Amino acid sequence: MINRITYWILVIGFQILVLNHLDLSSYIYPQVFVTLLLTLPLHLKKTYQILIGFGLGLIMDLFIYSPGIHMSACLWFVVIRMLILDRQDLKEHANNKLEYSVRTAGFSPFFYTTLVLIIFYHFYILWLEGIGNINIEYMTITGISSSLLSLTIIGVFQALKLNKYT
Amino acid sequence: MQRLFAFIEHNFHIILFVILQTICGFLIFSLNPYQQATFSKASLGVTSSINKLSSDVYSYWDLKSQNILLQNQISQQFKESFPQSLHYLNDTFLTSDTSMHRLFDAIPAQVVFNTAYKTNNIFIINKGLNHGIKKNMGVISSQGIAGVVLSSNRKFSAVMSLLNTNMKITPHINGQEYFTEMMWDNSKLNCLTINGINKLERINLGDVVSTGNSSLLFPKGIPVGHISKINNMPKSQYFELELKTATNFRDLEYVFVIINNEYSGLNDLLSND
Repeated sequence: MINRITYWILVIGFQILVLNHLDLSSYIYPQVFVTLLLTLPLHLKKTYQILIGFGLGLIMDLFIYSPGIHMSACLWFVVIRMLILDRQDLKEHANNKLEYSVRTAGFSPFFYTTLVLIIFYHFYILWLEGIGNINIEYMTITGISSSLLSLTIIGVFQALKLNKYT
Repeated sequence: MQRLFAFIEHNFHIILFVILQTICGFLIFSLNPYQQATFSKASLGVTSSINKLSSDVYSYWDLKSQNILLQNQISQQFKESFPQSLHYLNDTFLTSDTSMHRLFDAIPAQVVFNTAYKTNNIFIINKGLNHGIKKNMGVISSQGIAGVVLSSNRKFSAVMSLLNTNMKITPHINGQEYFTEMMWDNSKLNCLTINGINKLERINLGDVVSTGNSSLLFPKGIPVGHISKINNMPKSQYFELELKTATNFRDLEYVFVIINNEYSGLNDLLSND
């Protein structure tokens, strides 16, 4: 439990203190903290997952001062994750109270889930931020580049975890 | 009830999701200045469309009362504009009258029956003896002369339309009164003829024909129509003029009955001559 809380604090800190101040390009805004929602334990009740998503979004909104935007995106993230995971055979892992990861789901399903959710999250955030005056070109480049960087970092996290268990 | 609770329990996460998303939406569009401005702009468009629709519907339902209101306003304006006529008549006929005394009053009325296709057309208005309307009172529309009251009962009055062969009015054109008569010859709707104006007179197409001073039924200057055709009869020294009436008798709906407050006194005076 303590390990998990520490992991959450580290990831949130990494997002707020490092990634949010990363000045790589005006087209890159990676949102890596969603890995916390992506890797939630499989046995967790849907209601709790939604509340956790809402809470995590609230924390991010408080630090970035974007009231409601990350909360809304996190809620959608959790719901879409539920829909995707319902189609994957994860009952045994859920009974073992494991979290969703490459190790439990396998590379392809995990990669597919992560890809869909990360791309959705970035584009949803960009859409909400520019609502009413959306620059399609900027949104597409930023969405794809930020998603790719986030996927890479999440991949590194998963690789580190995988190494820890092997 | 148990089913309802079971449904809520089973779908509680969906209900929670909807509630939380609503809160998020509220926060996004109330606390983020840019999103707030966008939302305000979008909602303004929607609300203004809805408001316009409701306003149009309301205006439609309110037309009748608005018409009555307008009639009353026009009636009031008539009353306020008549003292000018009064002043002229005051000098001419009545020495005891004061400038505060109104010579004419106008009572708004609605046309409940109307003909425009007969030789002698009449229309009926919803005001009668109870409203102070009597025989030989002038009737005008908001455009111009409409007719003269023929008879009245307590609630209604029959009005001889301008489109009646018995109706005769003295024309007043370009500031000059011509002692001839304009009348309807039953040839065209909303068209009168004027004969007996000498060809030496300057009459042009479009000249406005109005009431003059020789009528006790109408105030001076109420339009009758405008000259629409001038026939130069070769063997005659007079014009044959065609006049398009200011009032459209096919669509006649609201009128004003003109009451000359000194009609009997003036009429007696004129009769003595």
